[in-house]
Amino acid sequence: MTHDAMIDEWYPVGLFSQLDTNARKTALMGRPIEVAVEAEGHARVTSGDGRSLPVCVRYGHVWSSLGKPQKDLFAIPEADQPGRTLVDVGVIRVRCSPLRAVENFLDIAHFPFVHTDILGAEPHTEVQDYKVEVRQDADEVWATQVKFYQPQAAKSASGGITTEYMYRVPAPTCCVLYKTCPPRPGEWDVITLFVQPLAEDLCDVWPWMALFDDATPMTDLIHFQQTIFLQDRSILENQIPRLLPLDPGMEIPTRADLTSVAYRRWLKRHNYTYGAQLVAQ
Amino acid sequence: MPARTPVGPIALWRSQSGRAAASADRCPHRGMRLSHGFVRGEALSCIYHGWSYARAGNCLRIPAHPGLAPPETIRVPTHEVEECDGVIWVAVGEATAQPPRLQGVVPLRSLTAHAAVAAIEAAAGAKAGVDGFAWQPQSKLQIRLLLVPQGAEETLIHVLLDDDSSLSQRIAASRAVETLRRTAEDLETKATAP
Repeated sequence: MTHDAMIDEWYPVGLFSQLDTNARKTALMGRPIEVAVEAEGHARVTSGDGRSLPVCVRYGHVWSSLGKPQKDLFAIPEADQPGRTLVDVGVIRVRCSPLRAVENFLDIAHFPFVHTDILGAEPHTEVQDYKVEVRQDADEVWATQVKFYQPQAAKSASGGITTEYMYRVPAPTCCVLYKTCPPRPGEWDVITLFVQPLAEDLCDVWPWMALFDDATPMTDLIHFQQTIFLQDRSILENQIPRLLPLDPGMEIPTRADLTSVAYRRWLKRHNYTYGAQLVAQ
Repeated sequence: MPARTPVGPIALWRSQSGRAAASADRCPHRGMRLSHGFVRGEALSCIYHGWSYARAGNCLRIPAHPGLAPPETIRVPTHEVEECDGVIWVAVGEATAQPPRLQGVVPLRSLTAHAAVAAIEAAAGAKAGVDGFAWQPQSKLQIRLLLVPQGAEETLIHVLLDDDSSLSQRIAASRAVETLRRTAEDLETKATAP
């Protein structure tokens, strides 16, 4: 079996604000781990065999790895921008491949059917052409100039608007979405999807947001995102196969799926195959 | 709705004009189960991205590209469907004959047993043919059962009853089949116990 390059990546394993000295028992890529925050405020992650695992705390979450991360966790400069509300949305467990969860997040064509009257509505189903590239310097997948009509783009939106999106995949199970910010034109709201791979076909999804919205109560912001992700879960748990097929013959993409196509190619090229199906079965 | 056949799961649906249809339970675009989809007019649409399919399986519309006529190559495998005497029959592979007629009976209910077909046959003391078998658990109660294997260990039982059955006969038949299911499940457990 070839070594899966994903072993050396960082993964979210808990919300820093919800951890204490009582260890949270969870799993990472099929191995049991424990996550705790010690009295002096240091996060600690231990594998089932007692080994101390690499740790960092960023974007509200504790991050760890079973392998040896070759670089620091990716940067989100907007996270440190003054005036943003940082939202720890919490966790949603989904019985699907971590890679399927990310791919669904990169998709806008499902909005009118899965997030009806919130992120999309018929007859506004057309996906205009947008740009996709792998940025060589940072080795990230980017989709830009993504535009879509949305009845209620955000909790702070009061009517339908054409929203512009940018997507960024800085790590195999993480995605950062930049989205038109209704109360502050010229700035982007940041909505992320951090996925913890529990197994190849099971994941904990940790959405996190950095928004310009000081009017909406925190509870409402969290409820809005949870509603969206629960709608996504009804899809993700019913895709066949559960693993993400990297064989191009298995599924049929169209122009609207260019981000997904680039993501799948990028995964394959880097041997990021935990949660992927390589050969049609 | 989802249904299981010996060749895999299918999406069973009825078009607006009333015709039953069956396709593989998987949209070829992103693998979503089509049995979660919705019917509009004569087409079944996938709930994920709204791709819609005709009864014959060809893709009619891709909402993300409303101006595009979907190529013929985008299609979902379908199964032949016949509806007669209140029962929908799905052919696995090429149908060689019409489904059997079941005149004079009406469907009562369907239930799933965690037992193989053989265990249900043993519990009823009968052997099922293409038209199932007639079962008489008590005098004046004539039941017809159709058995559909759902994998190796489960069976879907369709219960049909004389069309002039009284309410109390229908209740008695329902109870009798539940008893049959328990007996068959006990047999199955004993047969598979180490």
